[in-house]
Amino acid sequence: MTKAKRLFLSGGIFILALIIFIWRPTILIYGIQRAGLYAAVALPMALVLGIVHIVNLAHGELLMVGAYLTYFVSVTFGLDPLIALLPVAVVMFLLGMVIYKLTIKHTLKAPELNQLILTFGLAMVLGQSVNLIATSQPRTLTVDYVSTSLSIGELTFGVYDFIFPATALIILGGLLFFLRKTRVGKAAQAVGQNPRGAEIVGIDVDKIYLIIFSLSTALVSIMGSLYLTKQSIFPLVGGPFTMKSFALVAMAGIGSLPGVLIASLVLGVSETFLLSFKGYGGWSNIVFFAFIIGVILIRSHKGKQI
Amino acid sequence: MSKLEIRNLTKKFAGLVAVNNVDLSFGGDEIIGIIGPNGAGKTTLINLVSGIFYPSSGQILIDGTDITTMPAHKRTRLGVGRTFQLIHPLEDLTTIENIMIGFIFSQDLSMKIAKEKAEMLCRSLDLDRWDRSVSQLNILEIKKMEIAQALATNPGVLLLDEVMAGLNSDELKELIGLIKKVAKEKKVAIGIVEHVMGVIKELADRVVVLENGAILADGSFQEVMKNPDVIAAYLGGGNYA
Amino acid sequence: MKISPKIVIFLIIILLSIAFPFFAGPYQQSIAKNVIIYMILALSWNMLLKTGQISFGLAGFFGIGAYASVLLSLKLGIPPILTIVLGGIVTSLVASAMGMIILRLRAMYFAITTLALGEIFRVIIHNVPNFAGGAHGLILPGVIFDGNGLYTYWLFLGAALFSIGLSYYFDKSKIHLALTAIRDNETTAKVRGIDIFKYLLIVFTITAGMQGIAGGLYAQSFGFVTPESSFSGDFILLPIAMALLGGIYTTAGPVVGAIVLGVISEYLKLYIPYGHLIVYGLIIVIVILFMPNGIIGALYVKIDGRKTFGKVDQPNE
Repeated sequence: MTKAKRLFLSGGIFILALIIFIWRPTILIYGIQRAGLYAAVALPMALVLGIVHIVNLAHGELLMVGAYLTYFVSVTFGLDPLIALLPVAVVMFLLGMVIYKLTIKHTLKAPELNQLILTFGLAMVLGQSVNLIATSQPRTLTVDYVSTSLSIGELTFGVYDFIFPATALIILGGLLFFLRKTRVGKAAQAVGQNPRGAEIVGIDVDKIYLIIFSLSTALVSIMGSLYLTKQSIFPLVGGPFTMKSFALVAMAGIGSLPGVLIASLVLGVSETFLLSFKGYGGWSNIVFFAFIIGVILIRSHKGKQI
Repeated sequence: MSKLEIRNLTKKFAGLVAVNNVDLSFGGDEIIGIIGPNGAGKTTLINLVSGIFYPSSGQILIDGTDITTMPAHKRTRLGVGRTFQLIHPLEDLTTIENIMIGFIFSQDLSMKIAKEKAEMLCRSLDLDRWDRSVSQLNILEIKKMEIAQALATNPGVLLLDEVMAGLNSDELKELIGLIKKVAKEKKVAIGIVEHVMGVIKELADRVVVLENGAILADGSFQEVMKNPDVIAAYLGGGNYA
Repeated sequence: MKISPKIVIFLIIILLSIAFPFFAGPYQQSIAKNVIIYMILALSWNMLLKTGQISFGLAGFFGIGAYASVLLSLKLGIPPILTIVLGGIVTSLVASAMGMIILRLRAMYFAITTLALGEIFRVIIHNVPNFAGGAHGLILPGVIFDGNGLYTYWLFLGAALFSIGLSYYFDKSKIHLALTAIRDNETTAKVRGIDIFKYLLIVFTITAGMQGIAGGLYAQSFGFVTPESSFSGDFILLPIAMALLGGIYTTAGPVVGAIVLGVISEYLKLYIPYGHLIVYGLIIVIVILFMPNGIIGALYVKIDGRKTFGKVDQPNE
């Protein structure tokens, strides 16, 4: 995208946001909170896609497993979920390593078809394992501070949910710092752009893949923990996150982490916009699909093979 | 007898001009050699004619029909055939099936007739191991298979993209003889992109030299080789080595 | 024409499957019907896979076929058998309309967009309660053939044979050459005269129709549809596991895989009622890692070493 186009696009989004804010401020506030959740979940997927070049169809399931682990740790040890998320993230990092070493690694050189089927299989194994251990009964963790609200004039809204956009910004900032300033991050970027070249200059490509995949697993697990503080969880809760995350990454264009933020904002606000109409809220879950189709049509109109 | 006309053809890739205002016509049973330094736009030109890319401007006509924006499979039916610089055999099909594809999908023949015709074509090209999978063929056989694959589409104009690459001198000689035979017997116009000057000298009735996407010279082999611009492009440029 | 032993064996198998209800109890028959539903789905998934594209849209089209069949029965009073066929046609029409857009996609873009289809159709059904019953679904006044097990089984068997025949035709006709060429190299395919989009659309439409027919059979034999059960992810997971285990890019593979896994899963259901589906996930992972050619592929390699199954390579370090 050229600079002028990007400016035009962000300007347009800003003006649209302003109109919505003046018209119904809650749509924008809840939209931003929702967008934060989507962005924070999609960013790790974008990271893996950009560097390891595989799409992980078990992405949402890893979020779900992280949420369940947090639930059980919190209940068993009486810990606050926001504290439990740390040990859980460490465990999930290790789980990511195991999954990479045992499975992903062995399909990296196979056709993309095999990778898609493999990660689909992994998603099923994770979902059904949790179903087997924890049953399909929904689980809820009640934490009192999540219902904190704030009133400005006549406007009252929940404050806690700003934790999602805040986390998204921290994850984005952290990842950009990691990729641009640290040795491992720079190596990872080199691997993402040209794995063979990176190998020739002496970068341990396999190790980079391992680190990136495990890091992404830990990050998505943190989002699972945060999700648990607001919503009930069940074994199938992760599936939609995989699809929405991919839609966002595709909208942003593979390799663009900041683009994920903008795409999430568009999706989050559109969904809350629909949800604000009584009787039409149910349709909000297909907005992401409309966006996928829109992106396909626009890109193919420009004559590009996606 | 077909005729290919290329008019003012230009292709830009993100600012870089790969093919620049090229005018070129040939047909009948003519063999045209297309030469030029690396990156001169030879393969891009073939890709534009066969419909892998669409040009930024200009026109391509075959027998008077404008095919500039036509999808690749339709151009094939109108008689544009080609081979690939990097060989692209269909690995999950046998050699004969690779060749049958052209008869079936561009000439609408039945499987049975396509098979008979493909076997005949293989015999005429001395390609006798047609029942094998492609992975069992040697390099010369693969080249022959690629040519057969293209001939099966019944081309009026056949574009060969560095078909000699990787062959030793005996194999080279055999393939040159084959191409001559094909051009005369099947009345196919051939455009051949080649690095080996000996091949061009041996085969081409006419030679076109491309540099930086534009035509630098057009004439007989002897004429072109005497052209000072061509000598400069090959020797003086330095950065094409 | 000579009668080859292959044809004799095939005829014997058909006769045995027609006679199956006479020596099997109702429980075995219900297992057989389940196996057939998944067999049709596995065959159709594999037929599209031959183009090199993975579709996770099975559940979506299965559900559409199921709903179309039930709605046609309820709203227009069309006889059940006819609604199953019409349901398949409706599904094909929906698929061809969607195909005009999503068949421009490849690889992961195509796979995930089709994965979303089931979810999308489910949401749509949820949100049109007056027309399609919303979250509660729709109930038919009765099941097909008034519950006559024999006729129902034969209807299912007919659908299975039709699907096998279709898949076999795809293996033996010029469609096989077109699809394999598209999978191996789209550039070569189109330069040799193959209209890639046309063939993708044909296969997408036909396989969706098969999935719709499977949905119609299911709905008419159980007598109800709900958004959750008719668009269930099981209709993606099980067929894929079956086709992979049996061996992809063949007709025999999905058939063998459906029978083997279908029977095994009945026993698993008894021992692990919740979460027995984990086995399917494990099979997918293990097969793709260690034996990507499946049972049939392994047999072929054993019988004559030269037969290879294309692009699905053994994992290499």
